[in-house]
Amino acid sequence: MRVKRKSLEEALAPISSGASVAIGGSLLRRQPNAAVRNLVARGVSDLTVLSWAATTAVDFLAAAGAIRRWEGIYVGLFNHGLAPNFRRGVEEGRIVAREFSETAWVARLRAAAQGVPFLPIRGLFGSDIAVRNPDQIRTVTCPFTGDLLQAVPPAATDFTLIHGYMGDEYGNIVWPVVRDTDDVDPVFAAAATRLIVTVERIVPHELVKAQPTLTYIPGQWVESVVEVPYGSHPAACDAFYDADEAHLEAFALACRSGDGAAEYLDRYVRHRDHASYLAAVGGIEALRAFDVAKG
Amino acid sequence: MAAFSMNELIVAYLAREIEDGDLCFVGVGTNGRAFTLAVGIPLAAVRLAQMRHAPGAAVYWGNLLEPDLSAFPERLNQDAFTRWPGAAAPTDTGIKCDMLSRGRFDVCFNSAAQIDRHGNMNITAIGDRDRPKVRLVGALAQPDHAAFVRRPYIVMDLDRRSFVERVDFVTSVGHLDGGTSREAAGLAPGGPHRVVTDLAVFDFTPETREMRLVSLHPGVALGDVTDRMGFRPAVPDSIAVTDPPRADDLDAIRLRIDPNNILLRE
Repeated sequence: MRVKRKSLEEALAPISSGASVAIGGSLLRRQPNAAVRNLVARGVSDLTVLSWAATTAVDFLAAAGAIRRWEGIYVGLFNHGLAPNFRRGVEEGRIVAREFSETAWVARLRAAAQGVPFLPIRGLFGSDIAVRNPDQIRTVTCPFTGDLLQAVPPAATDFTLIHGYMGDEYGNIVWPVVRDTDDVDPVFAAAATRLIVTVERIVPHELVKAQPTLTYIPGQWVESVVEVPYGSHPAACDAFYDADEAHLEAFALACRSGDGAAEYLDRYVRHRDHASYLAAVGGIEALRAFDVAKG
Repeated sequence: MAAFSMNELIVAYLAREIEDGDLCFVGVGTNGRAFTLAVGIPLAAVRLAQMRHAPGAAVYWGNLLEPDLSAFPERLNQDAFTRWPGAAAPTDTGIKCDMLSRGRFDVCFNSAAQIDRHGNMNITAIGDRDRPKVRLVGALAQPDHAAFVRRPYIVMDLDRRSFVERVDFVTSVGHLDGGTSREAAGLAPGGPHRVVTDLAVFDFTPETREMRLVSLHPGVALGDVTDRMGFRPAVPDSIAVTDPPRADDLDAIRLRIDPNNILLRE
């Protein structure tokens, strides 16, 4: 096994402007926010971003004007409403948005994971999602039955960013037994080309080896693993800590204007490293207030 | 007759619609009224049905299959979802998508920023997709629900801005342009089954597949309904009144299902 543990800066260095990046996490859980803050601080832009139900990570990138095109199923702030910066970017014509249904998106991830040029679906006939996106959703005929189906292409990207629970230095990412029930990260991981995973905690390989069924992302697929405690803050990491609802509310309020978003970025996003961010939100001790019971 | 809220009336109506053995999809919702419509009312309705006539009715909530609905915590934070007791939490959400596509779901509950005469829904954008007046959150699984679920129930408040002649963007295909246009486009037969609002219940006419008034809630006049719609629905010669909740429905909702007023908060 190869050691894949790196610093956040080393792990993310290969991502430069113009890249395509898939972002894991679902709603307010396991957003790779620390990784995204690094991209914004470095001025990485002109990105094509692919996501599932994205919240903070995609909206931080949108606030920085770093997204040229987005594809996925949802961008919002869950119980805090619309994603203010993504919304403004699309409304002003700066972000091209192409959405898919969940079933179509899973087919795209699986196509990437299998290395096939498309997979068929049958649920978007007549929808403007398909009618207005002939480049990515096309009618095909089943060679066996003659039925009409819709082909969707692989969700292939240059890089994939996932925030995981725990991992060893070889990049084997493990989940706790009690965890989120809406998991999409294993599917994103299987679809990834260059996979960078941040985790709450690096744990000894001996622990991973003892229970290999808990490894949901094998180190074989991982390029870099980085320990970033509270790496999903202000969103949650289920089984570790809850969302920081007050911070999210203040974020949503500040980002009602572009000026407010710029101030937020300066104060909370453009940090030279994760330690600097933790200091800006009151220090790691303050964040322990959001911890949830383990197990 | 016991006084009741419109939320309670809708819960009792939907509970009567749920059949024993139905598998019902409920989303995780967002905030405020949208949460009550998309999550609170549907969960309360399925639970009431389970307690009454449909003990075998099941819910797929978020990615939790057959969650225990017998007790709701006082606060729905992320950790409450993480620890919710249930029969199964499939290892990834693609499994839910497979179940949708294969047609395993009987019922789903949806709402939208816009719905039109033919039950098409929009949660993508108000205005043009590429330079919208308002960019909304996006499709999630709503198109899959409208395509694959046998009896989709649309739960929305009546409002001229949301009940429109034609949605700005068809996120989810209902009955498309009416008649057999849905099937002609390539979808299986189906589409929205009922539209349940704060004033009235609608279905869709068998031939033209346009929204049709089924019943007015107690005390509501036809004009109250049409004043709050951007199109004129089909109106039958005689209009029923939606059955009010029974006293024991209200007791079950208030004392056992939602004692902390989380699900049906106004």
